[in-house]
Amino acid sequence: MKKRVFTIALAGAMLLPTLAALTGCGGEDVITLRVYNWEEYIDEGGEGTFIFDELHELDDDGKPALDETGNHIHIESDIVDDDYKEWYKETMGHDLSEEGPAILDDFCEWYEKTYHKKIRVEYSTFGTNEDMYNEIVLGNEYDLLCPSDYMIMKLAAEGRLEKYDESFFDETIPENYYVRNVSPFIAEKFANNGGLKLRKDPDGKDIYWKDYAAGYMWGTTGFVYNPEYVSEEELDELGWKVFTDSRFHGKITAKDNVRDTYFAALGVTYQDELLSLDPSADGYIERLTEIFNATDEDTIGEVEPVLLDIKDNIYSFETDTGKSDMVQGKIWLNYAWSGDAVYALDLAESGKSEDGEDEDSVLLNYYVPSAGSNLWFDGWVMPKGIMPEIKHAAQAFVNFLSIPQNAMRNSYYIGYTSVISGEFPEDDSDPAMLTYADYLYGVEEDEGEFYDLSYFFGAEDGTFGIYADEEQRTKRQLFAQFPTPEVIARSAVMDYYDEAASERINELWSRVKAESLEPWTIAVIVVAVVGVAAAILLLKFGNKIDFFRRKPKKGYERVKQEPVRYKTK
Amino acid sequence: MKLPRFSRKTLCIPYAVFLIFFVIIPMCVILFYAFTDKNMHVSGTNFVRFFSDPTKLSTIVYSLVIALITTVICLVIAYPVALILAHSKIKKKFVILMLFVLPMWINFVLRVNAIRELFNLLSQINELEGLESANIFKTIFGMVYDFLPFMILPLYTTMMKIDTSLYEASADLGAGPVTTFFRITVPLSMPGVMSGVTMVFLPSMTNYVVSDMLGNAKVTIIGKFIYEYFGSDWHMGSMVAFVLLLVVFASTLFSGGFKSEENVRGTNL
Repeated sequence: MKKRVFTIALAGAMLLPTLAALTGCGGEDVITLRVYNWEEYIDEGGEGTFIFDELHELDDDGKPALDETGNHIHIESDIVDDDYKEWYKETMGHDLSEEGPAILDDFCEWYEKTYHKKIRVEYSTFGTNEDMYNEIVLGNEYDLLCPSDYMIMKLAAEGRLEKYDESFFDETIPENYYVRNVSPFIAEKFANNGGLKLRKDPDGKDIYWKDYAAGYMWGTTGFVYNPEYVSEEELDELGWKVFTDSRFHGKITAKDNVRDTYFAALGVTYQDELLSLDPSADGYIERLTEIFNATDEDTIGEVEPVLLDIKDNIYSFETDTGKSDMVQGKIWLNYAWSGDAVYALDLAESGKSEDGEDEDSVLLNYYVPSAGSNLWFDGWVMPKGIMPEIKHAAQAFVNFLSIPQNAMRNSYYIGYTSVISGEFPEDDSDPAMLTYADYLYGVEEDEGEFYDLSYFFGAEDGTFGIYADEEQRTKRQLFAQFPTPEVIARSAVMDYYDEAASERINELWSRVKAESLEPWTIAVIVVAVVGVAAAILLLKFGNKIDFFRRKPKKGYERVKQEPVRYKTK
Repeated sequence: MKLPRFSRKTLCIPYAVFLIFFVIIPMCVILFYAFTDKNMHVSGTNFVRFFSDPTKLSTIVYSLVIALITTVICLVIAYPVALILAHSKIKKKFVILMLFVLPMWINFVLRVNAIRELFNLLSQINELEGLESANIFKTIFGMVYDFLPFMILPLYTTMMKIDTSLYEASADLGAGPVTTFFRITVPLSMPGVMSGVTMVFLPSMTNYVVSDMLGNAKVTIIGKFIYEYFGSDWHMGSMVAFVLLLVVFASTLFSGGFKSEENVRGTNL
């Protein structure tokens, strides 16, 4: 009996640590925030982070310049002032100059200091909007998700999202960084759903993005191109039709998802009509949006042959390989999102491969078709029925990311453009994000021309902008990260496909992707396969039907033979 | 204290639980989704749609053909290798066998990526420029490379098991090497062939990683189809998976039946 007690005690003792591990974090008052974001879509610290305190003067080769004593020459920067540095050190417990703290760690520190509650972030990632959608439909629970525009709409229309608190939009609360710093341009798009027609939620109420989502990143879609093989004039002349032009046969890639490639095919099909529209005319943006969101039978009928042409002409449908193929020079044109384009441009310029190996430095450019393109957003949303305490934390997370310096960190790390512009200045200083753009791409006044970004900061034309060289203004990182107002004016937001449209589009996509065999080929192959199967069956039952053996003579009978087994050595 | 005694039946419980939760229930879920519509009403529309849609039929036939070609090439390469390894008196033949099997120990995606890079390098040579767009060739090449060990191993083990006295007897009775090969080696290695074929044929119908990475996603096999449908329409996706299951079932039926038959024949000889 004693022994048994001992055994049980032992088993209990062995179980204890596991239990402790399960409840360890809950011992104190710790909130868990489950964040579900895109892969590689946040500053994860380490190499590639934005280091505020190391603004060196650069020499002619772009390397940090050295003074007589061999030290880097620091330059004064207005990206962060001493107040911010002090605040940062006080809150996070380490210097801003220290390399490597992931933004999530900083958030936990900040949250504890600000709200006097411990928080833990469970961070997981997804690859596509559809994967994310499946996950939540299956009942996996997250507290803060980052879908794209059309997916936000779909989730809201299905009643799966929680609205932001009204207090989230109260500018007087000091911790409400989002509402104070978000770009007025983005805020407007979120208020009018980017010009899409209104959708209703299950209760019959109109859906506005701004109620359900706070922006994170935004951008356009266009082409990364290699100027060595493709000239700007050619692109201007062809526009979307580069996809079907034989000169680029095998030298251009499309996306391996139906949304983006269908969008491009619409651009190819209706390019002439799109070009004939006048951007300054009334109803222009509505018409543009309508064309790029058309999913009716007739449109699909017109687009299908174009998609097949595209398939024949392109090098590949890619999800992730386009960047490296481009850097390696295997393809000339890569259909890409602006943030990925910035990444590819940076990478090619640095002369490193994705694995950090040395390669030749290549200059790549970014181009947006003049007939019109896609304007997209990713935003933070919360699932319906989220606990108030967690909701508070989720909104705090959004606010924390909206501190301009954090937006810079994320933006610098991933290459995409943050929706944050910085507070509108009361004096004649620049908004935070403008100093950031200036730091990255700006040149002296006499070396470049004015690049107007006033639209992004919600000001009159000519108020805010930076001086940049022509390359940056028209085709390089600056242009990709902060497109010109002209590009914005010609960009349409994507709507989600309703059920019937979704079915039509999917059928179309499978027709495009699949190898369509002629009916007779199918017949021949099926007959051949069935023939082989029959032959095998025949062999199998050959014994029983006695097909292969001679029949015994009359009066004789085959003896059933026991199998003989041999001994093996 | 006596240790608790477990009867055989109780020992089976974990396995039964495993089978129920990881095999039977998932199968039922697939069946359920395949034969319901969006409102979860039972319907056969997906079934009808599948077999009336030339796209889906040609995709399944297309995958079948790609899988068949892959299997045949694997067999043609693997059979002599296994035969030589099993019969030769090379010392340390396990080293050679190991070399063939070794790639299996390296991550699959990594291997496919390596082949991709290899083709990149090759296609930089002028004469081989056509490689860039030879998507089907590259896909089949990748599949053969990846699945070859699965063909060699079963062949090698069955050939090792063939009793050498059979060869001696065959020689004694005056059969030449060719006759011996066709009347002893081939029939007796059939079980190995069949399990090799099953292990290569089935994955090469569905392994779309290879076709995506080497075929530039321009070669669409049935596995990719299922994946794409699960992005939007689970019911149709389940139906495609179900049809694939039928194909798989049929092919296993043939190979399985064949195997037992050949065993009997082999020992009967």
